[in-house]
Amino acid sequence: MKIGAIAGITFKEAKRDRILYLLFFFAAVGIVASRVLAVLTVGDRIKIIKDVGLASISIFGVLMAILIGTGLVYKEIDKKTIYTLLSKPLHRAEFILGKFLGLVLTLFVMTAAMTVIFLAIVYAHTLKVEAGLLVAVVYIFLELVLITAVAILFSSFSTPILSSLFALGFYLIGHLSWGLELILKKMQPGTGRSMVRALFMILPDLENFNFRTEVVHGLPIPPGIPLSAFFYGVCYTAFILGLAVLIFRRRDFI
Amino acid sequence: MRAAILFKHATARKGSATALLVLFLLAAGAAVVTLKGATDRAVRTKLPGASIIYIPSGKFLKFATFGYRSLAADAIYLWAIQYYATPTIDDRFDHLDHVFAIINELDPRYQDPYEVGALIAVEGVRDVLSSTRDLSRGRGRGEYARSLIQAAFAILDRGDANNPDQWVYSFDAGHIALMTLKDFALAEMYFERCMKIPGAPEFVERLRANALFKKGDLKTSWETWLDIYNRAPDERTRKIASNHLYNVKATIDGTALEGEAAKYRERYGRFPADLGTLARTGFIREVPKDLDGKDYLYDPATGKVKTVISPWRR
Repeated sequence: MKIGAIAGITFKEAKRDRILYLLFFFAAVGIVASRVLAVLTVGDRIKIIKDVGLASISIFGVLMAILIGTGLVYKEIDKKTIYTLLSKPLHRAEFILGKFLGLVLTLFVMTAAMTVIFLAIVYAHTLKVEAGLLVAVVYIFLELVLITAVAILFSSFSTPILSSLFALGFYLIGHLSWGLELILKKMQPGTGRSMVRALFMILPDLENFNFRTEVVHGLPIPPGIPLSAFFYGVCYTAFILGLAVLIFRRRDFI
Repeated sequence: MRAAILFKHATARKGSATALLVLFLLAAGAAVVTLKGATDRAVRTKLPGASIIYIPSGKFLKFATFGYRSLAADAIYLWAIQYYATPTIDDRFDHLDHVFAIINELDPRYQDPYEVGALIAVEGVRDVLSSTRDLSRGRGRGEYARSLIQAAFAILDRGDANNPDQWVYSFDAGHIALMTLKDFALAEMYFERCMKIPGAPEFVERLRANALFKKGDLKTSWETWLDIYNRAPDERTRKIASNHLYNVKATIDGTALEGEAAKYRERYGRFPADLGTLARTGFIREVPKDLDGKDYLYDPATGKVKTVISPWRR
């Protein structure tokens, strides 16, 4: 109940944030501009439209999650409203979870709106609703949920600028960590290899949520991968949120 | 009263300041547009190929694109199309294979770049050989054209390796080998590879048979056309196969007869008066007839043999 109330307030607060609409505007422009880009190609235009559309949803969704998420907790501390909140019978974990769910709800609405524009553009070209594209969008959203948790984690102990940089770093590492697998294949067994393997297992692998290529090319997604990717995302998010609660509980505001 | 006058003056000052600001903005805007136009009109020295020398390998870009590999492939492909469509860049073909290798590496299932890349290479060959400017820049037109053909095959071979279920790359490679390179053995090899891929159109087998003929393997060509004739699903295909069989037989017979006529000339100092002479003097067992049972036309002045009708007008 308390989590719901915090989430509701966070959603209302995020709704009033002008940066949200600015990013949404650019995402919409990106999706619509894919039509112009497609004209420049030789061959399959719809492939360009799908690629640019999905990338716009992903990139601007991540920017929304980072730029809004990193300010959520900090703003409460900076404006001293945290004192009022924490003086109530409200657990700090509820506060963090409420903030998280509020932003997730905001991102859900934004992703849904971007997806509607995207599907409309695709429909204008193919004259059919390509439901398969929703698979990619669902996993983009799952990635956004994880990034939101990361943004809130950093926001619970750092300034918005640093939190944004940390969260962006997390996002970039998440999309680079698959390279460690290539390094592992070239390493001789030993301590170094074990350490790299441990790093590979701990670091986020956001490529798990990337089904864009398969969806755009109509390739089959190996069974089991979407389900394990879904649970991977849920567990990683839960872990990050747990960490955020742990840090936030130890913070002294006086 | 005094306050009203002051207010009036202040309002007038504010109004004139706004008007000045608007004028300033208009002037600045006009200046920007004029300067932009003037800058664009100025002819700038172009450093040939400078725009692509820093393009890294696809393997590196795979990391640098942070999960947006497909989007990066689109962006480079779109850029490549504009780049290769700019005839003023003389050395644009220098890194053709490299540019398309990057696109292929980033998105191996993206079909268009393989075909378009190979097409650009073939068009490049024509440009290099026909341009009044030396696009090879001293490396020799023939050598440069050969390197472009190799680039076309490299791109299509990559397409084939990355998409073994797609017949179109072997088909395109065979077509280039047949029509541009005139390497009929290579064309036959590609068409044979293409035929083995499920979904390949049936006419590829006919192209292979034709490549075999042009390669000079008349026996295999005859057998292949005969097989096509026997398995023809429709009258049109049967007619095409029949015409080619007629042509192959005429070529086999013609080559043999002209060879014997040449031997006759070596012995008697002149070509035989007719083909029957070759049979009567023991050079051949009997005078062959064409596939329709008609006599070949023979020119005693040149010793050349030809059919009474074009194989394609039977």
